[in-house]
Amino acid sequence: MTPLLSVKDLTVRFGATVAVDDVSFDLERGAALGIVGESGSGKSVTCRAVMRLLPPSAQISGSASFEGRDLLQMPETELNRVRGKRIAMIFQNPSSHLDPLMRIGDQVAQTLHKHTDLKGRAIRDEVLRLLDVVRIPDSERWAQAFPHQLSGGMKQRAMIAGALACQPDLLLADEPTTALDATVQKSVLDLLAQLRREQNLTMIFVSHDLGAVARVCDDLLVMRWSRLVESGPVSRVIDAPRHDYTRKLLASHPDRLKPRAFAPVGQGAPLVEARGIQIRYGSRMLSDWIAGREGGFMAVKQVDFAVRQGETLGIVGESGSGKSTLARSLVGLVKPYRGAIFFDGQPADPAGPGRIAYLREMQLIYQHPSEALSPRMTVQAAIAEPLRRHRLCPRDAVQGRVAELMSQVDLDPDLITRFPGQLSGGQCQRVAIARALAFDPRVLIADEVTSALDVTLQAQVIDLLLRLQKERGLTMIFISHDLAVIRRLCSSVIVMREGRIVEAGPTAKVFDTPAEAYTRALIDAIPHLKGDVA
Amino acid sequence: MKTFRFIALRLAQAIPVLLGVSLITFVLMAATPGDPIRLLVGDRASPETIAMIRDRYGLDDPILFQYFTYLKNLMVGDIGVSLRYRVPVSQLIAQHYPVTLFLVLYTIVLTLPPVIVLAVWSAKRQNGMADQIIRMMGVLGLAVPVFWLALILTRLFGVKLGWFPVSGFGDTMPGHLLHLFLPALSTMIWVVPILVRTLRSALLIEMNRDYALTGMSKGLGARQVFRTHVFPNSILPTLNLFAVIVAYLLGGSVIVETVYAVPGMGKLMIDSILARDYFVVQGATLVFALTTLLVMLAVDLLSALIDPRVTL
Repeated sequence: MTPLLSVKDLTVRFGATVAVDDVSFDLERGAALGIVGESGSGKSVTCRAVMRLLPPSAQISGSASFEGRDLLQMPETELNRVRGKRIAMIFQNPSSHLDPLMRIGDQVAQTLHKHTDLKGRAIRDEVLRLLDVVRIPDSERWAQAFPHQLSGGMKQRAMIAGALACQPDLLLADEPTTALDATVQKSVLDLLAQLRREQNLTMIFVSHDLGAVARVCDDLLVMRWSRLVESGPVSRVIDAPRHDYTRKLLASHPDRLKPRAFAPVGQGAPLVEARGIQIRYGSRMLSDWIAGREGGFMAVKQVDFAVRQGETLGIVGESGSGKSTLARSLVGLVKPYRGAIFFDGQPADPAGPGRIAYLREMQLIYQHPSEALSPRMTVQAAIAEPLRRHRLCPRDAVQGRVAELMSQVDLDPDLITRFPGQLSGGQCQRVAIARALAFDPRVLIADEVTSALDVTLQAQVIDLLLRLQKERGLTMIFISHDLAVIRRLCSSVIVMREGRIVEAGPTAKVFDTPAEAYTRALIDAIPHLKGDVA
Repeated sequence: MKTFRFIALRLAQAIPVLLGVSLITFVLMAATPGDPIRLLVGDRASPETIAMIRDRYGLDDPILFQYFTYLKNLMVGDIGVSLRYRVPVSQLIAQHYPVTLFLVLYTIVLTLPPVIVLAVWSAKRQNGMADQIIRMMGVLGLAVPVFWLALILTRLFGVKLGWFPVSGFGDTMPGHLLHLFLPALSTMIWVVPILVRTLRSALLIEMNRDYALTGMSKGLGARQVFRTHVFPNSILPTLNLFAVIVAYLLGGSVIVETVYAVPGMGKLMIDSILARDYFVVQGATLVFALTTLLVMLAVDLLSALIDPRVTL
């Protein structure tokens, strides 16, 4: 049997940079191929090159024959009859890949209009059927909605529905779950696996997360530095990796990382304590007052927690559970509506007059490192800013202190004059950490610091945080939707849902014997590295 | 329902704005040197006559008192009488406003097609020959002073070739169109480049958005992606700038109306200021402010119609 898609000697160049170097693979009908690698390894470019979706500056050579016809040589008009109809594609970030001005139903219907003879009602019915297939509830209503009204997971489902519309033979999935949180990620992966089984869909699944790929695919390609380093069945690659890089990739997976033994934390008084925190967005309108409602949107409803010196508290929950809002209230970025925060036994007001002294002790690191750094400030300027602003060291010692902080976070001293745009995601995050450490704080709050990074970088940043904690005796509050990371890093954990704490306790206990169904669902959603699934 | 509440709220907000505008104009006019009565009656009038007229128009009273009298009259819809023409200001505005409105609509009709064609052409061939030429012509259009251009156009098309009349408004519809062609053209020459620049850059940004890629991956082809996704998304930033320009033009393009002697709001305003015709200036300014508020309201409603993310 000839393969459905056969890629031979695919090379993609952008000017002098080689993005994909001599990649070849075959894909049988009904198979699912995973491509893994870190960002910049060329896995997405490979995927897009097959569909000829790269910008004109890309020079592509080699061949990609689909049912014996070379996609790379096909005339544009003919290619457009293959795109969307025979080969469909879904992308990483569903919010930016959907047109904000167009209703979901219309976007799903686009391929039907283009590639089929269906008209009017028939299209409408087909769209509703597709939305049902991807398990969007109340499809009639959501077909009328605009993308911004949908959650991230629903948007991804809608995009999948659009891709499935013409019953394509091949689905290219480019990091389809990376921007989603754990439970949503699991449901999308389950959906893809189910579609494979039921519709005999052939699939290429690109991801940096081996666990996610293992859930859906049976074959695996590992890419690094634009080359193919290893290929084979998923179970074989996971159980017996042949290449060093694959081993490193596997070792970085949160599932493979050993939970560390936590140093016993004294039973002393808590360092940070929050009592009865309630946070509201929006305000109470007259109509709310008359109706006796609270009004606005309560992002955090009644939260209490305490962290002792040297302890690491994990806060987990899905997007929208209020965990980031809670973190922001600890550094005064949002003002709690009710409740109090205590620091070192004293009532603290993070947004009030004493905030400067308070914030020197408590620092927040943000999720998106490149957005948290000013694009017009060099690494040197960014790290030196708090030192100068708060006069934390004599003027002539600033230079030395910056160098010291950079070495503490393992940043190459040569990077000191670079701008954030010239750094990788991992390096940006290190700069952000160094900037927070410049205050020499006692508490570090990390808000989803690893979510935007791929697995190998994630592992490095976590190692860095662990080491810093050990060296400096830092107290940490670590917020993440990734339970595998929390498990590795935190001594105790609170699970949040819809603004409330549903479960709290020592990490091992919560993970091994979860009391709540919600916690179990979260734990269940952790992608595991098992070779025998799918 | 929500839309109606939004409109009502915005109209209510207009009241303090209009009050502020009237106060500022009043004070500025009062502080401007020159005496309307002396300009009105000429050099040979006796001091008695001047005092009498002054008293009749209440110009002897303290400024603040005058302002409150004015406000009081405003409440009952009386915006005063022109010192120069001795007719109610409302009548003058009713005469001049339609002319300006016609001119602005005419300009818009002439402006939009070239803006869309040039911006799309330019954006589709970024940094190509056509793009360079369009951008260069745009800079030229912006750099040329309107009064100079208006004079040249008058000489060329009006005097030398005799294709178009050089002044006035005409009496019939074809007459209006013929008379106002040169004024509209002169305005268009600086409006088009501004809008082309904004629309072109918006198009370039939207063309590289992820949803355009999704469209391509669905096999829609570059043309359809451009028509259904890129273009609608590019309209919004341009629409806001367009509204500002329209509001500005509705205030009366003073230079264009003066050069072509178009009897519009701009001409009325400038003549009234020169004659210190206080109440006309007051009235015209209020109408201008109100027009601006209404245009802005309209564009906000239009944005909400195009973009579902905009909430009123």
